[in-house]
Amino acid sequence: MRQRFDEDYEIIYNRRVQSHYFELKIKVGDVYKYCFPGQFFMISVPGVFLRRPFGICDANDKEKSVSFLYKIVGKGTEILANIKSGALKLLGPLGKGYDLESSTALNSDAYTYVGPGNNVIVAGGTGIASVHFLASRLKKKGILYYGARSKSDLLHLANFRGLGWRIILSTEDGSEGYKGYITDILSEQLESRDTIFTCGPVPMLKEVFKIAKGRNVLGFASLEEKMACGLGNCQGCAVKIRGQSKMVCKDGPVFKIEDVEL
Amino acid sequence: METSLNINFAGIELKNPVLTASGTFGYGYELSDLIPLSELGGIVTKTITLEPQEGNLQPRIAEVESGILNTIGLQNIGVKAFIKGPLKRLSKIGIPVIVSIAGARVSEYIKIAKILSMQNGVSAIELNLSCPNLKKKIICHDLCLVSEIVRGVKDISKVPVIAKLSPLVTDIVEIAMAAQNSGVDGVTLANTYPAMAIDVETFKSKLSTVKGGISGSCIKPMSVRCVYDAYQSIKVPIIGCGGIMTGEDAVEFILAGATVVSVGSSSLISPKNLVKIICGIENILKRKNVNSVKDIIGIVNRSLV
Repeated sequence: MRQRFDEDYEIIYNRRVQSHYFELKIKVGDVYKYCFPGQFFMISVPGVFLRRPFGICDANDKEKSVSFLYKIVGKGTEILANIKSGALKLLGPLGKGYDLESSTALNSDAYTYVGPGNNVIVAGGTGIASVHFLASRLKKKGILYYGARSKSDLLHLANFRGLGWRIILSTEDGSEGYKGYITDILSEQLESRDTIFTCGPVPMLKEVFKIAKGRNVLGFASLEEKMACGLGNCQGCAVKIRGQSKMVCKDGPVFKIEDVEL
Repeated sequence: METSLNINFAGIELKNPVLTASGTFGYGYELSDLIPLSELGGIVTKTITLEPQEGNLQPRIAEVESGILNTIGLQNIGVKAFIKGPLKRLSKIGIPVIVSIAGARVSEYIKIAKILSMQNGVSAIELNLSCPNLKKKIICHDLCLVSEIVRGVKDISKVPVIAKLSPLVTDIVEIAMAAQNSGVDGVTLANTYPAMAIDVETFKSKLSTVKGGISGSCIKPMSVRCVYDAYQSIKVPIIGCGGIMTGEDAVEFILAGATVVSVGSSSLISPKNLVKIICGIENILKRKNVNSVKDIIGIVNRSLV
């Protein structure tokens, strides 16, 4: 069942993970039950005009919390990183998540998607957040292909290992894993029976789409665009989906790879 | 003492003076889980055109200090689809629905207005004469064209017609007078202001169309001025609009001469702000011992009678 909330929620912690990356954990009560992988919240940051969209990195039933992973990239995230306690205004969960058969079930542990091949996650940069939530819910574990600029940009690796995912890493400077782009390795190893779940920067997505479409691989991609409201009202975050203008916030952020025209 | 928020705008009875601003509330009915829609004064829909429109390329949104630039490009599903879907659902909410329209030429405005004013559930038509996003020059820069559109639509419309004007004109009074003299039932002051922002990392404009329209709290004092000036000269009622975030902001517009207000950017941040603004107005009126919101329209620098 789909339900959205717009309230103040207490920060459990907001701490540095490494270098410019922070993890924000919020106590949301029963709201966690309505959160599905791929969905996001709009978070108010005092001192900037608009709310910011943050993909859900995890939802925890014991703590009744949701957490977000973010990088300081501008004024909004810089202010946010300095807020250590108190309440934040959150609107969400928003959007349509990874389109799995059981995604309408309230119990988000029921991600029993079984494709004919491997479940393959392809992540770049902070795109790791939305696929992290997915990886924790997918019953059938698979392979994570994860690329970043440098070793210090690779996040939550221990979590993925703990969840039972095989990890293949690449960095642009070669400080960890393969030197180069993650799509180079994906291209060598992807099989046509696999199912792709991907989130990351546009150049990476374009390459993933080329590989997936070229081999007829089923896949789902979480997209990102500038948005003002997160609800489909401002119509700022339009993307082309099968020739039609759709909203990342409302019709997505997750779309079928074969439908996306980037 | 009971404070009354009831207000009549151009013959339309509203339970309070807070409307949504066009283009900021989607088609309106999709937010019923987040706010009690029936508590709003009314809904102004996003701008509808004769044929569906795709809208502009990315990026369409850029945040600035205390405001937001947009260049959406009137993306909408077109009048036929609007009537079949959104209008039906909007009219079930039980509050007045004002449909915003735009056209590429006079005949298009008339055609859409003709179709809409035959429908049940349309309380009024708002003419978007000021969208700064179409590449051609904006209609408000041509007084004759404004008059022609207003006259043409008034001739055929069975519901009140409101003209939404651009603030970027030499004299806002002149344009408001032109609309009034052509028979308009009310004016909305004002739309977004043409604006631009540049990314110094990429040396590129932050919007795909280079320029866009700016809204948000940073434009409020300029729009309050527009309302004040127009109110001194025109007789038709005014919808005040521009950067209203709180009840205080709304009351400022009313004191300047607005009969009702419309709220845009603030509801993008949180739709709940609309309800907070209504409560905010009521609280101020109570504190100031004002019986009715009608009593404070345009009374800035004058005392309550």
